[in-house]
Amino acid sequence: MKKIITFWKKGDSYILLTAGGLLFSLAMVIFMISIILIKGFASFYANDVAEIKMKDNSIYLAEILETEEVVLQSESGKTYNQKQINIKIANRDIFDQDFKWINSNEISKIEYPQNVTVFERWEYGNLIAYVKNLNYNGKVYQTRDKDFWDIFSSAFEKSEENKSEKENLEEELNDVLSPISEIQREISLMEINFPWKTKEIEKLKQQEEILQAEINSQIEQLNQKIEQKVIENSEIYATVQAGDGTEITLPLEKVYRFYRPNDMNFISKSGLYLTRIWEFLVEEPRESNTEGGVFPAIFGTVMMVILMSIAVVPFGVLAALYLNEYAKQGFVTRLIRLAIANLAGVPSIVYGIFGLGFFIYFLGGTIDQLFFSSKLPEPTLGTGGILWASLTLSLLTLPVVVVATEEGILAVPKANKDGALALGATKWQMIRKIVLPNAMPGILTGVILAISRGAGEVAPLMITGVVKLAPTLPFDTTFPFFHLDRKFMHLGFHIYDVGFQSPNVEASLPMVYTTALLLIFIVITLNLSAIFLRNYLRKKFKTSAF
Amino acid sequence: MKINVNVQNSLSASYTTDLSKEKTILETKNVDLCYVPQVKTLKNVTIQIPEKKVTAFIGPSGCGKSTLLRCFNRMNDLIPGISMKGLISIDGIDIYSPEIKLEELRKKVGMVFQKSNPFPMGIWENVAFGPKVNGIKEKAELDEIVESALIQADLWNEVKDRLNNSALDLSGGQQQRLCIARALANKPEIILMDEPASALDPISTSKIEETIDELRENYTIIIVTHNMQQAARVSDYTAFMMTGEMVEFNATSKLFTNPEKKLTEDYITGRFG
Repeated sequence: MKKIITFWKKGDSYILLTAGGLLFSLAMVIFMISIILIKGFASFYANDVAEIKMKDNSIYLAEILETEEVVLQSESGKTYNQKQINIKIANRDIFDQDFKWINSNEISKIEYPQNVTVFERWEYGNLIAYVKNLNYNGKVYQTRDKDFWDIFSSAFEKSEENKSEKENLEEELNDVLSPISEIQREISLMEINFPWKTKEIEKLKQQEEILQAEINSQIEQLNQKIEQKVIENSEIYATVQAGDGTEITLPLEKVYRFYRPNDMNFISKSGLYLTRIWEFLVEEPRESNTEGGVFPAIFGTVMMVILMSIAVVPFGVLAALYLNEYAKQGFVTRLIRLAIANLAGVPSIVYGIFGLGFFIYFLGGTIDQLFFSSKLPEPTLGTGGILWASLTLSLLTLPVVVVATEEGILAVPKANKDGALALGATKWQMIRKIVLPNAMPGILTGVILAISRGAGEVAPLMITGVVKLAPTLPFDTTFPFFHLDRKFMHLGFHIYDVGFQSPNVEASLPMVYTTALLLIFIVITLNLSAIFLRNYLRKKFKTSAF
Repeated sequence: MKINVNVQNSLSASYTTDLSKEKTILETKNVDLCYVPQVKTLKNVTIQIPEKKVTAFIGPSGCGKSTLLRCFNRMNDLIPGISMKGLISIDGIDIYSPEIKLEELRKKVGMVFQKSNPFPMGIWENVAFGPKVNGIKEKAELDEIVESALIQADLWNEVKDRLNNSALDLSGGQQQRLCIARALANKPEIILMDEPASALDPISTSKIEETIDELRENYTIIIVTHNMQQAARVSDYTAFMMTGEMVEFNATSKLFTNPEKKLTEDYITGRFG
């Protein structure tokens, strides 16, 4: 007893307490990261497909995902444990759902047949089925035929080729048609805005007719070619049989990728795994974001963070410089510091609303009226876009940058500042040559914090320019290359949208984990690069040891 | 004011030590200074500093000698709430008049601080800092200035092979001599030294004193020091200050051997301070 009392009195208990606090926090972080890591990386793996025979003779072709024990109540009121298995049956267009819970007691047999094929389709998710035969070049090939899978692959390549050719032709057609649609737009604008100028409208209409006549044959030709490709592709199809015996005709142009997981060894599975990660990083999303890549979101996130940094750093640094070097220290500067510190605590959605009201409606609206009035009522800058979103976020992160820069400036030795002034430097020369280089680590700390905060922020973006699916990137090869008025995609919003707004939540879960992983990875990368830069500068400007 | 020099030969015999015969370069008249309102740090200080001589300010801590020194290149301007009365002139021009450009003044009146404060950059960059901010851009000219400043500060031989190395890698004494070189690069008329050797070991201190000795021919040096032996060793004239007042200003040889004031005698004989 006495021992316990001395234990408390000596304060050793607080060591335990503090260590416990640290341990708990660490455990939570590690737990979260490992869940995201495991789930995120696992989702790229090609699982084997099982043929599950049930006692009632129904058959499922499915990936087995997880087993769960549930407590059920029997009719007599007794509770009992029951094992349930979650399987991915895919074939959404046939079964209405991708996933199913089955009762493990009712399974009679599980097999892994070699010839099951998984088709990743452009639409309706995966299809898991046995291939029966293939129609290609007017012939029907059977699975037992020699080289069947080689022929299948070449058929698949052919259909892909046709498809991309068709897309090119369509683009060409669009280019041909664009002058006409331009004139048509002009006519309709004239008719709405200046209906009394009948002469001009007449003239435009004549122009349109002339153009139409000129390009008619061209259009005809292109349309024929497109038609031909469509017909060609409709003749390349496979007949497949789903787990429940339904036979489906599958045109190969609807297939994105196919593989036979049970027939693959570890190396080819790893290859597929890496390919999938690569596709995730560089491709556009499909199927309302639940499949495909997230490249536009990565691009949007990084570009927004960079734009935000470009906007926030000069302002924050200049403000901190004035506050510390030029302003007369006193009540007002104290008040301003307090206000800045408090700004950091304002909920981000408030910034979003401010951005919407000030940047988009007021600034953007005014700019539209002054410079883009011909396009009105269609807004150019008077609507959400990457520029306004970045500016809103830079406002949000401004306090962080100001405070960190101030700390950096305060850390510059007064002796060095005095030394520079005593050598006849003006105040600005002193700031530029002594204060700024020495405060650079502090400034970069501010940038790091701003990036961490800005990259993960979603709420203010939702009302200032983030969209579920942006048709174009905010950067392309047409002048002026950076299209800051465009809406953009963002990883944080992507997680929210895919995970909670998508019609098929369970199918999109892997996407949520991988996107979260990616977002964390990007934030860490951006941070690390800033930290390395800061450490490099710290070494360079380490103050005298003397 | 005529000073009778009895013991001229006992200390630094070769120096002229007749204050009245010296040409005055810097002059203060009735200078009062308050850091805080109503509390005078300097009281009615009047002194005439001779040209191209070494003048030492001694006195107990807090007597205002550093404050007075910092008035000469207006470093005190930076301190908020400070107020000053009286006249300080260099070459007969009031340095506190609005026409005076602060940067010009500080170019003319260089300063070496108590704690060496090399900038976190290369040695060459450190020395060239002053000329650069004062508008010299040509590399060749800067090279020349840097070399001659480093030679004058007795540092050239030690650093000539590593001019681009960081100044922070130098030893404490070398750093302080670098700061002297940095001040010299501006080609000043007056060099203010605020206890330049107080944080150095004896060997580095003697090197600094040698440097000062070599500079006395071309520059007016005003040095604040706590160390009375140092004042006796390096200076031609010594001013003794106490509680903001100029107690006695005299030739060093005279002040240390035959002070006019009782207070001075008490201080230099170690009865207080």
